[in-house]
Amino acid sequence: MKKYIYKRLLGYCLAVVVLLSSCNKLDQSPTNNFTDDNFWVSTDKAQLILNMAYSQMYNADKMFSDENLSDNLFQGRSATDQRTIRNGQATPALGMFSSSWENMYQGLKTCNIFLDKIDLVPDLDVAKKSRMIAEIRFIRAYQYFRLTNFYGDVPFFTTDISLEESRTVSRTPYATVRKFIHEELEDIVKDLPSRNNLPVSENGRLTKGAAVAMNARAYLYEGNYEQVKLNCEKLINEQAVYGNYSLFGSYQGLFMPENENNTEVIFDIQYVPVLRTWSNLNYMAPISVGSPLNASAPTQSLVDNYITVNGLNIADDPAYDVNNPYNESLRDPRLRATVVYDGFTWRKPDGTVTTINIRPGSGTADEYRTSSSNVTSTGYYTRKYYDPTSEAGFVSGLNIIMLRYADVLLMYAEAMMELSEMDQSIWDQTIRLIRQRAGFTSAAALNFPTHATDLRDIIRRERRSELALEGLRYFDIIRWKEGTKYLSGYVYGARFANNNTENIQLDYRAFNEQRDYLWSLPLDQMNLNTNLRPNNPGYSY
Amino acid sequence: MVNKCRSQSAKVTSISYWVDKIPLCPRILLFLLLFCFQLPSRLMGIEAYPSSMNIAEEFHSRYDFAQQNRAEGYVFNTRNEPLSQVTVTDIKTGKSTKTDLQGYFSLEVQKGTVLAFRYLGYKNVENTVVDERQMKIILEEESQVMDEVVVIGYGTTTRKSVTGAVDQVTSKVIENRPVANLTQALQGTSPSLIIQQRNFNPNSGGDLNINIRGLTTMNNNSPLIVIDGLVSDDASLNNLNPADIESISVLKDAGTAAIYGSRAASGVILVTTKKGKKNQRPMIQVGSQLGMQDPEVLVNPVKGYQSALLKNLALTNSGSTPAFSPAEIRDLAQHEDSEWVMDQIIQTAPQQTHNLSVSGGGQNSTYMISAGYFNQRSNYIGPDYNIQRYNLRSNTVAEYGRFKLTSILAYTRNNAKDAVSSPIGDAMRIPTYYHYRSQADNGKYLLNDVLTESNPVAILRDGGSILKDNDYVNLNLGLDFRLMDGLKLKGVFGTDIFSDHSYTRRLEIPYYLNEGDSTPKMYANATRPTEDWNRKAYLLNSQILLDYEKSFGAHRITGLLGLTNESYTGTSNSIKLEYTDPDLGTPTTGTVFTTSSSVTPQNTNRTAINSVLGRLGYAFSDRYYAEFSFREDGSSKFAESNRWGFFPSGSLGWRLSEEKFMDGYKQHVGELKLRGSYGILGNQRIDDYQYWTVYSVYNNIYGYNNQAVSGAGFTYGNSELTWEKTATFNVGLDATFFNSALSLSADYFHKTTSDILLTPLIPTVFGTTLPNFNSGELKNRGWDLSISYRLNKRGFDQSFGINVGDTWNEVTKFEGNEQIKKTEEFYNIIRVGLPFNSLYGYKTDGLFQSYEEIASSAVPVGYAVQPGDLKFVDRNGDGVIDSKDRYVIGNSFPRYTFGFTYNLAYKGFDLGLLVQGVGKRDQAIRGELLEPFHANYSYVMYQHQLDYWTPTNIHARYPRLTASGSASNENNYKMGSDLNILDGKYLRLKNVQVGYTLPSAIAGKIGMQKTRVYVNGQNLLTLSNHSFLDPESSEFNANMSNGGGANSGRSYPLLRYYGFGIDFQF
Repeated sequence: MKKYIYKRLLGYCLAVVVLLSSCNKLDQSPTNNFTDDNFWVSTDKAQLILNMAYSQMYNADKMFSDENLSDNLFQGRSATDQRTIRNGQATPALGMFSSSWENMYQGLKTCNIFLDKIDLVPDLDVAKKSRMIAEIRFIRAYQYFRLTNFYGDVPFFTTDISLEESRTVSRTPYATVRKFIHEELEDIVKDLPSRNNLPVSENGRLTKGAAVAMNARAYLYEGNYEQVKLNCEKLINEQAVYGNYSLFGSYQGLFMPENENNTEVIFDIQYVPVLRTWSNLNYMAPISVGSPLNASAPTQSLVDNYITVNGLNIADDPAYDVNNPYNESLRDPRLRATVVYDGFTWRKPDGTVTTINIRPGSGTADEYRTSSSNVTSTGYYTRKYYDPTSEAGFVSGLNIIMLRYADVLLMYAEAMMELSEMDQSIWDQTIRLIRQRAGFTSAAALNFPTHATDLRDIIRRERRSELALEGLRYFDIIRWKEGTKYLSGYVYGARFANNNTENIQLDYRAFNEQRDYLWSLPLDQMNLNTNLRPNNPGYSY
Repeated sequence: MVNKCRSQSAKVTSISYWVDKIPLCPRILLFLLLFCFQLPSRLMGIEAYPSSMNIAEEFHSRYDFAQQNRAEGYVFNTRNEPLSQVTVTDIKTGKSTKTDLQGYFSLEVQKGTVLAFRYLGYKNVENTVVDERQMKIILEEESQVMDEVVVIGYGTTTRKSVTGAVDQVTSKVIENRPVANLTQALQGTSPSLIIQQRNFNPNSGGDLNINIRGLTTMNNNSPLIVIDGLVSDDASLNNLNPADIESISVLKDAGTAAIYGSRAASGVILVTTKKGKKNQRPMIQVGSQLGMQDPEVLVNPVKGYQSALLKNLALTNSGSTPAFSPAEIRDLAQHEDSEWVMDQIIQTAPQQTHNLSVSGGGQNSTYMISAGYFNQRSNYIGPDYNIQRYNLRSNTVAEYGRFKLTSILAYTRNNAKDAVSSPIGDAMRIPTYYHYRSQADNGKYLLNDVLTESNPVAILRDGGSILKDNDYVNLNLGLDFRLMDGLKLKGVFGTDIFSDHSYTRRLEIPYYLNEGDSTPKMYANATRPTEDWNRKAYLLNSQILLDYEKSFGAHRITGLLGLTNESYTGTSNSIKLEYTDPDLGTPTTGTVFTTSSSVTPQNTNRTAINSVLGRLGYAFSDRYYAEFSFREDGSSKFAESNRWGFFPSGSLGWRLSEEKFMDGYKQHVGELKLRGSYGILGNQRIDDYQYWTVYSVYNNIYGYNNQAVSGAGFTYGNSELTWEKTATFNVGLDATFFNSALSLSADYFHKTTSDILLTPLIPTVFGTTLPNFNSGELKNRGWDLSISYRLNKRGFDQSFGINVGDTWNEVTKFEGNEQIKKTEEFYNIIRVGLPFNSLYGYKTDGLFQSYEEIASSAVPVGYAVQPGDLKFVDRNGDGVIDSKDRYVIGNSFPRYTFGFTYNLAYKGFDLGLLVQGVGKRDQAIRGELLEPFHANYSYVMYQHQLDYWTPTNIHARYPRLTASGSASNENNYKMGSDLNILDGKYLRLKNVQVGYTLPSAIAGKIGMQKTRVYVNGQNLLTLSNHSFLDPESSEFNANMSNGGGANSGRSYPLLRYYGFGIDFQF
């Protein structure tokens, strides 16, 4: 009898435990995320992946990072990876070699997963689907474009890669990848809308024009001027098909938030005030207008690139006074739209103006002291891409332009010059238009230089001035194979040294012609997958 | 009747005197408690004997001299030697005295009372009815080591029957120490219980690393916390009032821990809180401590003008123009330096602790009710940053027939006010130039060349605050039902309820460049963010246990079978606003919700674990012991097919000294016992839901036409995921010598953790990371040793305790065999054959002394170095320094951790010391503490850095001064070399306590049973091989991972504590 009671009691206790254990079951799924079962079910969800791919493509950080690799900017305050590369100290273990690689393959993963899974989405409208696929293919092509620019031959695949493959994949020759990029960019044009048909609400989405312009840029980097010419001509001459583009009325206005998505913009990376922002100017703008310190500053080399209103290099123009180098009535107006120099008039958001004094002894927050300090290391600050509507800390929602019509004109001019087809008419539809828009008025600057001049130098100089700080300069130097010319020797700043008698002398840069046209593959990646070897030439391993 | 009331109110008055000394809130608690302690005893029908009703009667009788009598006699030990200092107490009146050197005592007592004789190290003798004659009392020495009751998983045992590795820390070690929480109190108390306090900020209690026996896994190494038999949350440990702790058991091997199965691999900490004693009159204990904490900043800047001179030297050494003109330096030298900002922001701060408890019991019930209050003021200047803890606890046990009901109700409240950001990094970097002022005379906060966007003084004074409050309720109900002789059925239900809230308000502060400026350069917290965060969590814990224990002649059998379920549900949400009302922080026109605000589904975690557990023990003649235990766990963290795991263990014990042939040994030497165990333990501490592939939606990832859109990313799941397994082998020896005066316990262990959950290092070409896979293996070996010795001579009662332990680990299996990670300047390496996460980098070979030496030596690619710069060892001799030349240069996990305790009692005086330290550790350091003018963030140089190379100081410790960014500077400070590694061994006088207990005669006169006053100090002395960094500071958490970046030493400084306290018992 007693035993029976105990048994019942035990049974009761077990029941109690089971009852209590039903508080939480052993099967639990997350409440904050979708799973494979409930994600690929609608067009909206697929669009989320597409949006992710857009955001991974390019951004303000990448643009300024690329610029810091060039001779336009100098990072005097701290030893960044870009500075290490420029000083010839980079080894395959450099963090940036590894992080850039990872970043681009992450972007590729998004694209490949999208393409692999998009068929799972039920009832997806055919036109919508082909457009989404075209956008993804553009982004994928761009990621490979960037990868091959930096690393040359790279692992190449067009569907999602398995873990096993990722451990053994070897490098595909540069030419093969570039061929794929061109084929893709050509093939998707038919599925993308023209700018002319794009609803305002879709501003920022990829168009036919973007695909053609990107293709032109890819050919340009390969030195295939024939193809550059063909693609640029599509954009210049067939605007009914590829979209109506023209130079925006004001050079400075081109980068103003009120003029976003203007007729010059072929493709830009979109930012949204407050919600999706960038703030790189916080460490580039003058201290006195709110920047806490300066991390990156324009070089003397960039400042010297700007010609005079007479269409002459400063060295050739007798009107140029070394003691009044920034003379606004003499210098290319784009200088003051790009670089902040001593005596610069900074227009604040409220419309008032303040003068930026950088010269030693001026006693201002912006005053140059020495390199290796919290103020500018070169004697200059940055103006371009300043957004007067930005929040405190230069938090801006201003779009970052990736492709614009002026670039198309410059590419076209360069291609025609290289093809020896540059003449008065080509000049007039390219350089002349650009200079006119920049604010040049004198015939000497606007007319085709008929006298014996180095046309190549003029066009390259024009390209540097027009597109300064837009992330293109480094790649231009690399494709011209002009590393030694532009990326060797001392970096100089303003004439503030030795009682304002000499230029500030900064890092000594050593460009290695045998090595520095390509980055090293990341050391850790070569260790994980030995099929990535051999490394690009010149690196120790 | 009138008399009764009067004496009762007199009692309250005497308490209220102390009550007035205590701040308001704890005072309310105290009154509640006084009320409570009467209530439960009534509710539970405690017998008349020492119930609360009798207090009055007792007090009444205390003044009733009519019935007095004298008791006298002698006290001896078993060898017939007189014992002095034995406490003799009249149980009824509480009056007591002590024996003299002849063992004689004499005491005024009540007729028919009972005398109690207490002497440390001897068994208490009580119930000696006083008669007229002289008494002769014999006290038997306690063989306290072997008979000590030891708390183990789901039960208790005695020291002599323990077959596994378990240490028990008793309340004595914890009591009266000015610690902020229980974890701090445990440092140095048990061998291989390794506790590192990485910084001393009262408001960041989470910076304590706890490891038991080294690193068991490459993941989470936190031990399982069990409070009064219920598995609890990690955070609960520090919510306990150290004064409430009866004992803490540290389960270290499979033999003792396997009963906790899949969560026990890193050891188990079992906390038992104090209970009342049966047949004891209400005992009221009041204790208060008050002290000051003195921050110890270990570095000092050089004088302002020196800093400027040295900065110029660094610049000119690197070919840059000097930053200061001779006139400016002269100007700096001619002015008196300003106070260093670090000294401006940190100050000595008070700390107080107050505890009150009432405990007692009748024949069938006991109770223990306590309240505690702790308040530590932060050392930061500003509006009263502090942390406060309130504890309230009621532990009652009631027995009726076959039933025993245990009920524990504990409530903890933490209130904290924290600064919105840590100002230390900024403050340390500012030179003492006279013109660098934090605040102008007109009150404006100033920026300068160093402080370009933040001002530490402003942030602390006017930057706002983070107000945190946490409620923690612990409810634990247990019902034992004795089914038959030896067999008990236990049902336990417990719950931990956490309710946390924090409110962050950042205030806009205008910063000016100059005192006279009318417009600020910028604003701190320009977006005026305001943030509310709420979390609620509860852990439900239910157990049904069947417990058997019975002896059959020389055989004793114990058995345990149980079913348990634990369910955890946690949710939280947060509201983050920007551009709030500048005065109220409330929404106003223009206020925006930031998208990092979150709602409940974004932060919901649910887990459950169901278990079956059991233990079977057999003992023969208190000589041979065998035990088997197991646990089968089913966990919601894993997919259904991999959900259940079985964790068995077996252990054996042999008390050699109980053998016949050892009789001689036992008589002349002491006890001797051997024990051993082997078993499998698990670890399932990984994030929830890892077996699911998930798509996460990110807000505002992109935009079209200025309309933000969301994006989605995905995280792969691993459906094969299961727990890690640790096979642990342990052998141990327990021995006593000299009549138990010396006791020793030693253990050797070996554990292999396999299936360690690792994020595989995969080629980044794959495009994403993978979740954890069961793929690593780690081996640990080590030993623990504890020795205690008591010496009682000429009235000096002394006890010594030493504990020391060491564990060393080796990675035996690792995906890809190797992983090198760089965190700022440092490399960490995980490689098969090496200890986990070792420090990796270049070996230095002194400093270059000449250009010839440079020309003939290897230097890093592209680096133009100069004499005075660091020279590295060219490991592979290829003529260039690159990553192939790196060495393993150390390991940051503490080894040979030790603790030493010393206690001395003489007459009424007592002294307690706790010394604690680490015998071997490599400590890495980067940043301004090592590198002068670090990375242009720091503009200061410290005195300890002055031994730098110059052509006339060629044997310098540090390389020559160079400007940040120069090749030489990169070479010297950015390579990650053994220059960055310091010897991290240390010895610290953790705690000192000197007390005096009033003679009981005097104490009795003021109505006390016991009164003790003491002074105490904490962290008074540290011996270490370097002067400028706290040797405990580390970038590594308890898992040896360094998510927070490399160690910069910019942490809240070590706090020295000086204080005093007083304890009453009546």
